[in-house]
Amino acid sequence: MSSIILDSVSVDFPIYNLNTRSLKKNLIRFTTGGKLSSNSQCVVVRALDQVSLKIEEGDRVGIVGHNGAGKSTLLRVLSNIYEPTHGTIYYDGKISSLLNVMLGIDPESTGYENIFIRGLLLGLTKKEINSKIKEIAEFTELGDFLYVPIRTYSQGMQMRLAFAVATSIQPEILLMDEVIGVGDKDFFNRAQDRLSQLINKSSIVLLASHSPAILKKICNKILVMKAGKVQWFGPIDEALHNKELVQITGFI
Amino acid sequence: MIICIILNKISAYMQVIVSQENHTLSLRCMLALQDIGKGLKSFRIWLQLAWQDIRLRYRRSALGPFWITLSMGITIGLTGLLYGTLFRMHLHNYFPFFAAGMLTWGFIAISLTEGSNIYFEGENFLKQMKLPFSAFILRTVSRNFIIFLHNIVIFIPIILIFHINVNFYTLISLYGVSLLLLNIIFISTLLAIFGTRFRDIGQVVTSLIQVAFFLTPIIWSPAILPEKYQFAIYLNPFAQFLEMVRNPLIGMPPSTYAIVSTFILTIINATLAFIVFARFRARIAYWL
Repeated sequence: MSSIILDSVSVDFPIYNLNTRSLKKNLIRFTTGGKLSSNSQCVVVRALDQVSLKIEEGDRVGIVGHNGAGKSTLLRVLSNIYEPTHGTIYYDGKISSLLNVMLGIDPESTGYENIFIRGLLLGLTKKEINSKIKEIAEFTELGDFLYVPIRTYSQGMQMRLAFAVATSIQPEILLMDEVIGVGDKDFFNRAQDRLSQLINKSSIVLLASHSPAILKKICNKILVMKAGKVQWFGPIDEALHNKELVQITGFI
Repeated sequence: MIICIILNKISAYMQVIVSQENHTLSLRCMLALQDIGKGLKSFRIWLQLAWQDIRLRYRRSALGPFWITLSMGITIGLTGLLYGTLFRMHLHNYFPFFAAGMLTWGFIAISLTEGSNIYFEGENFLKQMKLPFSAFILRTVSRNFIIFLHNIVIFIPIILIFHINVNFYTLISLYGVSLLLLNIIFISTLLAIFGTRFRDIGQVVTSLIQVAFFLTPIIWSPAILPEKYQFAIYLNPFAQFLEMVRNPLIGMPPSTYAIVSTFILTIINATLAFIVFARFRARIAYWL
């Protein structure tokens, strides 16, 4: 049984080299972004503010909120990129994050070499990559292009490759920042199928997105973030009936 | 309180990420060791990244990475002749000494100048995915070590031309290089962490390296320094590490002082690097 528990998790980013006096030591609140505050030492941005959550097996959580509301920071904390400054995270299950599928792609290497590089970065072993490489290659439909350095590829072709590798993993807990959208119409449909498969295979999915259509399609729960805090968390049906919430998030 | 007890029960089978404010000394050390272990294990990733860096620099040139060898060869060949003539040295003795010193110094200098940049270079990775922090240090160090290995090829013709004795001492140079490599990993760790927090460190190091080059016996032999200034060499750690690599390369044993002092320095550097890494590891991502 996979699950994640966040117990009043906060993330404070220090900002050095900033003239503290210009902030006049007042607390300043913005409609977008986290809370800026200054303690005696330096200015601090509170990107996550005492977030407590319980996410259980089968949850497909859509994270919504304004720019800078803390969506990406939350995903990064869950990926253990940032260790929280306060609070504790408990989790059960292997966490895989697809925050940037193009990361580490080397333009001078061939398609096959890049499948290998991306596979390593996704945490696959050499063996696992070798056993998957044929299936990945077939899915990209790039054929002999896979023997050519990928600097010769079009953007769409590079995305195809990255997408095919990223979706070949078998995550228990899957974190995504915006759904990966790829390719021409033909490929798009197959990509959608493959993405659904990936999501179905995972026991927990957390997905930050601005697209109501995608959220409605994938998610069964909605997490509304505002200025680093959890504003609302619950089933998507309730979120859709909550007029106030719909207005705040622009979520229909 | 009750919540705490419930959570404690849960944590028996769940994995826990503890907040930084609750990191105890032993937890910090454990997490640091874990990071180093995972870093070593992910050798495929950092070797790949290191090699990728080198390939990108020389992409589509006919010689590829062997431009490193060629340009170093030209530098050493010409400046060696110049200094040899200027100092009226016996070229037969001076040239191998100078070449071995320059090759080793090249590795030290590039590692130190790039050291404070290690985490900026990896910023994309650090912010988008979980990789061990130690892997980024190993990436940069291994990249510069690969460059060093390309450069060391220059020494083969020098051995042949100047009839240098290849003997038991040549083997000791392997020990010298390994010791140097270890120390560069430790110092890079210190520079990388402090360089991320204090962005001026990179500039300071770059300017100090220039001075250190002239203060260290590379273009001049320790023998030409008057007796009363010899202590300057004894106090110079660069000079000691250079001696550990250079002397065996030109068929001479390193002094006992060099052997002992570099060994002690290695232990000090390792301890310092581990303490700083354990203390600030979790802060690195926040400083970027």
